[in-house]
Amino acid sequence: MSLPASFAFSQASLQDYVDCPRRFQLRYVERLAWPTPVAEPMLEVEAHLARGLDFHRLVYQHALGLDPATIGESISDAKLAMWWEAYLSHPLELPERRFPEIGVSTSLGGHRLVAQFDLVAAAPGERLVIVDWKTNEGRRPRREWLAKRLQTRVYRYVLAQAGQRFNQGEPVDPSWVEMIYWFAAFPAQPERFGYDPAELEQDRGDLEALVGEIEAAVAQAGSGAAGLAQARGDATCRYCRYASYCEREAGAATADDLEGQADEGAPGAGFDLGLEQVAEVEF
Amino acid sequence: MESKEASQVITAPHSGGYSVFLEGPAGAGKTTAAVRRLEHLLHEGVPGDAILVLTPQRTLAEPYQRFLRSQDAPGGSEVTLATLGGLARRAIDLLWPLIAEDAGFRAAERPVFLTLETAQYHMDQVLAPFLEKRYFDSVAIRRNRLASQVIDNLNKAAVVGFPHQEIAARLSQAWTGDPGQPRVYEQVQECASAFRARCLENNLLDFSLQIETFVRHVLPTPEGQSFLFQRYHHLIADNVEEDVPVAHELVTRWLALAESATLVYDWDAGYRAFLGADPQSAYELRKSCRRVIWMERCLVASEELQDLGTRLAPRLRRSASLPAGRGRQALVYASFRFHPQMLDWVADQVSRLVTEEGTPPREVAIVAPYLSDALRFALALRLERYGISAVSHRPSRSLREEEGTRCLLTLTALAHPDWGIAPGPFDVTRMLVQAIDSLDVVRAQQLSRIVYRVRDGRPALTAFQEIAGEAQERITFLLGGRYDELLGWLEAYRQGGASSLDHFISRLFADVLSQAGFGFHRDLDAARVAANLVESFSKFRRAFPRDADQAQIGREYLRMVQQGVVAAQYIEDWQLDGDGVLLAPAYTFLMRNRAADYQFWLDAGSRGWWERPYQPLTHPYVLTRHWPEGKQWTDGDEYQVRQLTMDRLLLGLVRRCRKGIYLGISDLGEQGYEQRGPLLEVFQRMLRHAVQAGRGERDA
Repeated sequence: MSLPASFAFSQASLQDYVDCPRRFQLRYVERLAWPTPVAEPMLEVEAHLARGLDFHRLVYQHALGLDPATIGESISDAKLAMWWEAYLSHPLELPERRFPEIGVSTSLGGHRLVAQFDLVAAAPGERLVIVDWKTNEGRRPRREWLAKRLQTRVYRYVLAQAGQRFNQGEPVDPSWVEMIYWFAAFPAQPERFGYDPAELEQDRGDLEALVGEIEAAVAQAGSGAAGLAQARGDATCRYCRYASYCEREAGAATADDLEGQADEGAPGAGFDLGLEQVAEVEF
Repeated sequence: MESKEASQVITAPHSGGYSVFLEGPAGAGKTTAAVRRLEHLLHEGVPGDAILVLTPQRTLAEPYQRFLRSQDAPGGSEVTLATLGGLARRAIDLLWPLIAEDAGFRAAERPVFLTLETAQYHMDQVLAPFLEKRYFDSVAIRRNRLASQVIDNLNKAAVVGFPHQEIAARLSQAWTGDPGQPRVYEQVQECASAFRARCLENNLLDFSLQIETFVRHVLPTPEGQSFLFQRYHHLIADNVEEDVPVAHELVTRWLALAESATLVYDWDAGYRAFLGADPQSAYELRKSCRRVIWMERCLVASEELQDLGTRLAPRLRRSASLPAGRGRQALVYASFRFHPQMLDWVADQVSRLVTEEGTPPREVAIVAPYLSDALRFALALRLERYGISAVSHRPSRSLREEEGTRCLLTLTALAHPDWGIAPGPFDVTRMLVQAIDSLDVVRAQQLSRIVYRVRDGRPALTAFQEIAGEAQERITFLLGGRYDELLGWLEAYRQGGASSLDHFISRLFADVLSQAGFGFHRDLDAARVAANLVESFSKFRRAFPRDADQAQIGREYLRMVQQGVVAAQYIEDWQLDGDGVLLAPAYTFLMRNRAADYQFWLDAGSRGWWERPYQPLTHPYVLTRHWPEGKQWTDGDEYQVRQLTMDRLLLGLVRRCRKGIYLGISDLGEQGYEQRGPLLEVFQRMLRHAVQAGRGERDA
């Protein structure tokens, strides 16, 4: 078994592997369509996802130069209007040059690693800021938990490694890189992560090792049940659409489950109701 | 090592508006050169996000995608791969608050982008009152095809760039047959205009309206120009001959503004003419380019095959003979009386190529003018006997043709008796066979006969526990228990209140069908079908307001699938690279733009190689920019177009074949009718010439 020819690693696929190698195999290697509900109630989850995408669109429109008042007139959903108001009333202090919704890739261990940024704000030679708009509801994720997420590590690594686009074609000094998580439900409490050369080297080593481990595991794996190791069950399976395929009687999580565990470091907490992955692919 | 021409393309200047028009036959390495050009740009420091690769359809961007995902691609921002439709949709979506009012929509509500399916649905709704007034009475085609042809006219108007109000006038002016036909065109016009009004009223954007809104309302705005022209300074447009005139206009504007541009044009192509592709308009683009480069030598096809291609060319056809000597090896043919005999021969030959000659199965393509389910199944089965797997590409396959879909839709009807949709007893039997593991047809038939009833139009099932003991024993308690489990789930669902159809299927799949003892358990193909159905309905549902009646939408959807209107083309299906032998309709194979070592051409006698689809409500050649106003479409025009189309098809196939073509001929076609189509005539003529030439040589 091998990775598909056009496969590129992302923070989401790496996180999937870390959470459950079997999930990685089913989703990215076998590309198994398994149409089970991930969370209940499905309509509520779906509405939340749609609202998250809508918010990303509004911010993108703003970055393109559309008048905020004109954008505001296009909003009919009350919660979305609240997020939009929060966004306008809590502006982040960011460098002038803005690159909304931009993908950046670099090579890593014989593969490509892709990051899809919501926004990169650049002051060449001084500061490169990644902004990630988070529309989770419920409690705000803890800093310790965010720091461990592969998104935080992958995004900063990719920008430091391949962000010359934002630095007038010159290599990026890792210490210029910053990542900000901005929470629509907690607009006054963004979470900031700096970066430095030591962290870059640490991430490079860890990510290369992880990719190497995945490559070796996939090469040795059989298909389906004879495949990569499964997560231990319980919480991880509870947020996984392949639970019934793996014969794990997890049942779909509820939206409340997801929200309630958002700052507890549970495997499903990074799920962000799927928005991370939707955004990475489509937006 | 690359050719001089390829080097010129790759290293052309990338500033000052330098543009290259690269032309040549398929297989000459044009796309390879363009991919290398992309690599060159990136290595020269051009930011990836300043580069747009524009192709007429997503599959044609695969070589670029493969490169960008390879180790050879430098790190940096991502290159955009897009189609005209994709660009239009993205721009409209983002600039909606600015352009909606001017375009006739309500800006305060989000736009709803229609898929082919949802456009068909809305068109069907528009057609209903007209059909009651006996519109289209003289036209003998199914209702879903009526809808698709009216939509097709709107799309043609948009991509060719004429007002949709002119559809009837243009079609009528060219018509020469039945004097009643212009009246039909008027009816088409009325329905098209009514559909457009419905779309504007409900913020619906079908493909035609997406293109028109993009061209008329997005492009003129500074924001629209900024989004496109100031963002993408470097353009690579591949297969421009397969794109539409409006796309060519967009490219022309880009040529004036971009730092660099590379346009790639395939000779003798234009396979998407029925979708509005305009090779002539594409060729005009060369005039706007700084430099024209020719890559004239086909590097894919062997010399023998290129010779064959030349002999198939129309001007040579009358005196054509089969290639002599080594050239004969490029073409193998066999003639049979019956269709299954031909299929046996094909499987034998494929097996020989794979097992004796070591040809990888993926280097074999079996193409036919049409690929029916039966033909696909018959071929796959024969190959399977030799241990050879097959992958199939048939994008127009309707969802309802999948056994898994039928099963799920039958269960849907049974779970919603209020909808008054009663499946036939045979459908229930098939559903049981599919849904319950190890249940054979005989037992399923017996079970359905006992438990399934329709009362007052409402379908109903009774429990296994309630049937006679003797019947229970025959069916077995194990299988009966599974049936009861399924029934119990359906009853619990009914009592819990209806949900949307995609959610219903997801839950049914998760709770029952994918569990051990049921038919979808670990059946990846069935799961794929279920996922496609879920996705299809999910998209369908989104074309309605969020507070719309889910039951009503579900019922409408079921009706659409039963009528065969729903035929989602899923990109996943196109991306099946697999290692198997490819089974595909000939045009589908061409639009993958991939070569194979060996090709098998089936049904050489079929008229499908020559005929175009019956389209009484539209006309792909009249609704172009080149059809002179007032000129009539004659039999001569029809004949010429068919010949040209077949020539292009054959050349396209030959140029995508490396080593040899196998021609399968059967006197009787798949349906049992005699086959004597023009392709067969061409080859027969070539055979006769070969025989005569052989006699001549002996006499001498």
